[in-house]
Amino acid sequence: MSVPQFVLSAFVVAWLSASLRLAGPVLLAALGETFAEQSGVLNVGIEGTMLLGALAGFLACYYSGMVWIGVAVAIVVGVAVNLFLAWMYVTVRASQVVAGLVFNVLAIGVASTVYRLALGNSAAPESIAMFQPLHIPLLGNLPVVGPVLFGQTILFYLTLVLALLAHFVLYRTNFGLALRASGENPAAADSAGISVTRMRYVGTLISGAAAGMAGAYLVLAQVGLFRESIVSGQGFIALGIVIFGRWNPLKATLAAMVFGACDALQLSLQIFGTRVPSQLLLALPYVVTILAISGLFGGKAVQPAALMAPYVKD
Amino acid sequence: MTKLFERRLTPADSPIAIFCRTAAAFLAAMFITAFLFQLYGASPLQAYFALFHEPFATLRGFGYTLLRASPLALIALGTIVSWRSGFSYLGFEGCFVIGASAVSWLALSTSPGARIGPLPFFLFLIVAILFGFTAGGIWAALVGLIRARLSGNEVLISLMSNYVAIFFLQYLVSGPLRAPGSQPETKLLPRATWLPFILPGTRAHAGILIAIVAAGLVWMLLQKMPLGYELIVTGFNRSAARYAGIDVGRRLVLAAFFAGGLGGLAGMVEVLGSQHRLMDGISGGVGFVGIIVALLARLNPVAVIPTALLYGGMSVGADAMQRRASIPSSITFILQSLAVLLVLAIDALRYYKISIPIFSSAAPPAAEEGPK
Repeated sequence: MSVPQFVLSAFVVAWLSASLRLAGPVLLAALGETFAEQSGVLNVGIEGTMLLGALAGFLACYYSGMVWIGVAVAIVVGVAVNLFLAWMYVTVRASQVVAGLVFNVLAIGVASTVYRLALGNSAAPESIAMFQPLHIPLLGNLPVVGPVLFGQTILFYLTLVLALLAHFVLYRTNFGLALRASGENPAAADSAGISVTRMRYVGTLISGAAAGMAGAYLVLAQVGLFRESIVSGQGFIALGIVIFGRWNPLKATLAAMVFGACDALQLSLQIFGTRVPSQLLLALPYVVTILAISGLFGGKAVQPAALMAPYVKD
Repeated sequence: MTKLFERRLTPADSPIAIFCRTAAAFLAAMFITAFLFQLYGASPLQAYFALFHEPFATLRGFGYTLLRASPLALIALGTIVSWRSGFSYLGFEGCFVIGASAVSWLALSTSPGARIGPLPFFLFLIVAILFGFTAGGIWAALVGLIRARLSGNEVLISLMSNYVAIFFLQYLVSGPLRAPGSQPETKLLPRATWLPFILPGTRAHAGILIAIVAAGLVWMLLQKMPLGYELIVTGFNRSAARYAGIDVGRRLVLAAFFAGGLGGLAGMVEVLGSQHRLMDGISGGVGFVGIIVALLARLNPVAVIPTALLYGGMSVGADAMQRRASIPSSITFILQSLAVLLVLAIDALRYYKISIPIFSSAAPPAAEEGPK
């Protein structure tokens, strides 16, 4: 029995375009996290930041009706809460894993409390305006490639531009050099006149802005409503992507596509009906992340040397 | 004129200082949360009365407090074993689910006519403890192996493994173990496998006794046994431990196994003691709140039981508050996590001597400062 040609190509188109769609938010969060980690801060709090960004984006869009206001408010909220996190990581020098993790629990509490405060205890979730997929003339009409590459939302293309920008800033500017020096050898950076404290604050705030925007991305381009389980580990997956992408924005982009593909495979297989239980397919992206960062494929050596180590100036 | 903050050479780490700092942080968290109650139009005093009256001053409520505290305490003990061995394991949500699944499967197979058939309760309990402990332990030890052999990052891997375990649970309760009905859950476990209730008129069960025994064993392991000493040395300084002839990799895997085992026991206590069936969403974040309990108890096994009672009680009080005053129970998540964040922040003060001008002339300088 052979599968008809058009069914196969429909499957491939659905799968690939879903892959890119699902890769977007995690990639955005991973790009920001790259800055934090290159400066020496492992910001586990991006999971909670994404959740708060999603809520902020949802509420702002709900009240204003404009998607871009949702994105902007989410970024502001992401930066604001990460100012607190940066203070914990850099000034207080608390354990970064502990502070980030506990912050994630705090974010769950804040998100569900604020959501109920804003919308009451009504059971029916409210839906909002969303970003629509673009229809690029000519290119969008190409077979397979058209709908996959040229039928995404504007946020996706913005994320790709940001990936290029992140790579440029990290590897081609003085600021990027100073940031990476703070994560690689803070004492040397310090004696070269770089303020390690400032670099780590900036790195954490950039990751906060990106994670907040990624939360808005989830709400405004993918789901269209807010629920407490909306992030469910995508912030952690972004952390995995940073490692799999070897702390490099361009490689992280490829890594995010791989994860998107795993995530989308489960969707597409469900649509086309398979006998593999859907829950086991849902676990696939997480299993792939574990394998990717397990060290089976190397990777310890390229980690910023002072990652997770608070810097004490003598 | 004396300065308000004066740097001290050694941190103030006496038990009293630690207790005072923790209490101060907790009060500060309550103060901040009070504003949230105000937003809901509730008087903070009344809200806090509601939050603490039901779980600690009524018999029925206290039964629920014990019920909620048991899994929290077990997970906190697991956190202590792994973190003090230098293994930052965060996968207790997964261990909980795996332990709960394994024990539920065991309990279902002891129902009359099933694979194993009824067992005497005592025998069943021993088998269930071994089963739940081993299941959770192996789940965590896998992460320990990845860390020890491949030097993968255990923080992220254990976080990911939580989701794998939760999807596995969803598969079990919507597939092989599903009972007929609309909910994804198993049948009620056979009555003979339930943990005995210990306080008449309440739902409190023997799980809290298991937690207390476990706290004693963990204290013994870490304070009195050579193995515990080796674990702690491994946690303090890995290369020193290796130089002293300790097989660091093996100790890490062992610590992970113990930690995961305690997480698995928490799952066992939950299904056999309170839920009496396996269902989707059974963990509900307990794996993370347990870690928070351990942090607030300063990774000290003796302090775990009272801290778990406090946090378990707060979740009971929060549910009561939600029923009566329709204040969302998620506010307690804020209170609980804020307390730990403030503890971390206040810890920075232990390098300072605080002298408040009004008191400093009267009080002897060294006796009571610092703890603040």
